[in-house]
Amino acid sequence: MSDPATDDAPRAQGVLRLRDTSFPPNQPLIMGIVNRTPDSFFRPGVTWDEPAAMERVHQVIAEGADIVDVGGIPAAPGAQVDVAEEIRRTAGFIGAIRAAYPDVVISVDTWRHETGREACEAGADLLNDSWGGHDERLPEVAAEFGAGLVCAHVGQQRPRTRPFRVAYADVMADVLQHVQRLTARALAAGVQRDRIVIDAAHDFGKNTWHSLEVTRRLNEMTETGWPVLVSLSNKDFVGETLNLQPEQRLAGTLAATAVCAWHGARIFRAHQVAESRQVVDMVFAIRGDRPPARAVRGLA
Amino acid sequence: MIIAAALCPAPPLLARELTGADPVLPELRDACLEATAQLLTAAPDLIAVVGVAAQTRHWDPRSSLDLAPYAPALRAARTCSDEGDGNVPPVPLPLGLAARLLDQAGYGADRVLHSVGEQAPAWDCAALGAQLAAAAERVALLVMADGSARRGPKAPGHLDERSVPFDAGVERAVRVGDMAALLALDADLARDLMATGRPAWQVLAGALAGRQPTCDILYSGDPFGVAYLVASLTPVAESTIAT
Repeated sequence: MSDPATDDAPRAQGVLRLRDTSFPPNQPLIMGIVNRTPDSFFRPGVTWDEPAAMERVHQVIAEGADIVDVGGIPAAPGAQVDVAEEIRRTAGFIGAIRAAYPDVVISVDTWRHETGREACEAGADLLNDSWGGHDERLPEVAAEFGAGLVCAHVGQQRPRTRPFRVAYADVMADVLQHVQRLTARALAAGVQRDRIVIDAAHDFGKNTWHSLEVTRRLNEMTETGWPVLVSLSNKDFVGETLNLQPEQRLAGTLAATAVCAWHGARIFRAHQVAESRQVVDMVFAIRGDRPPARAVRGLA
Repeated sequence: MIIAAALCPAPPLLARELTGADPVLPELRDACLEATAQLLTAAPDLIAVVGVAAQTRHWDPRSSLDLAPYAPALRAARTCSDEGDGNVPPVPLPLGLAARLLDQAGYGADRVLHSVGEQAPAWDCAALGAQLAAAAERVALLVMADGSARRGPKAPGHLDERSVPFDAGVERAVRVGDMAALLALDADLARDLMATGRPAWQVLAGALAGRQPTCDILYSGDPFGVAYLVASLTPVAESTIAT
């Protein structure tokens, strides 16, 4: 079987399967972020307590999230979170979400296979490996549970590190090459082809210029045929581009979201779910991939 | 001779795929399909379709509905089976909607598609009706016609108070089989009221040639400010009424 990411010719998007749930190619998915951390960059600590986190889950689902993404470790450097603590923050909570919502797709934001395994045991459907395959055993967990696996590009970064004078001859070429390596490794580990997602990982191992470039050229990722996840929400590349603090980045986030949707990204990881849902649904309708909710104007 | 007739409106939204995720008016589509199905039960040799367009002319009966002018995004979704063989030019919307109704009702025998010009005077309309009625021994007629589009402040043509009595007059004429009243409709008033169906109603009147039909009204309403009337008509025996 040939690998989609090695072929130059554009490939059509196919069905995406995350454990027991299947999504057709023209259905964009919003992934609502629920951080089980005291120190994430956006609204730090607001969902640190479990009742507040469960309230947040209710909210993102009510606002139209298709996937709930639970993370126990912030991306930025900071206080050490070992495996046991990460599992303590995430696995039990994922079990509680699963109990409350038997059919919702649950993602765990982790690079560690131990955490991934506990999360899948508790009901997670997707391993959101934001740190680009740092732990080589994570794909085994995805294969074992039939979970989805995100293959992200982070350049040379190790988990929880910031880019320092990173440079690429061609950042998108590096992204494509790196995710191709990760998708091949996932396939070799037994992850089924229709359960693999790729992610350019904006800001991770990238300066603002790089993140703008991968946004502009995101079609080169979608043309590989792999479903593309974008994680844009309130990130520094938006903040630096517009000179705005995290709480002021919604409009910039939504602009980037619209461009990625136009290029055919499938999963949109977001803090502001309702707004993201509207933007993505609108752009998919402009693309012609989604009918209007109700069209009567001029048709009566 | 006309053995049965059906009257349906022809708004674009009759095509289910144009209204997006919301079916919007399923009851209107159901009524149109019911009226069309009743034509089939009369066992016609041929079904003639008439709808209003820029000019009076005959159309290739293999033609079918082309929605791309209304929703370009649907162009990619077109299939040969649904949209004709690709070599036949698309027909005006009312004829395309009617062709689809015939397909949906399972009608596969002979059909004639004829447009009547939006400016055609009443006598030309009546003559076309007579011509269609003479096309076979047993002809069923499917008439696509809309009432006023000025029935409220949110109507496509805003409110014109005259629209309500105008449409009521048309509905009464259809209900009691008063074809002479349809022939006597004021073309200028109809145009003012954006009642685009006027020529088609007059084709119906000419086709029935003075035979008073019995009528079932299957739908009557103006949910978007345009009068929609769905009716099933059965002519009674000849020479029971004089015009």
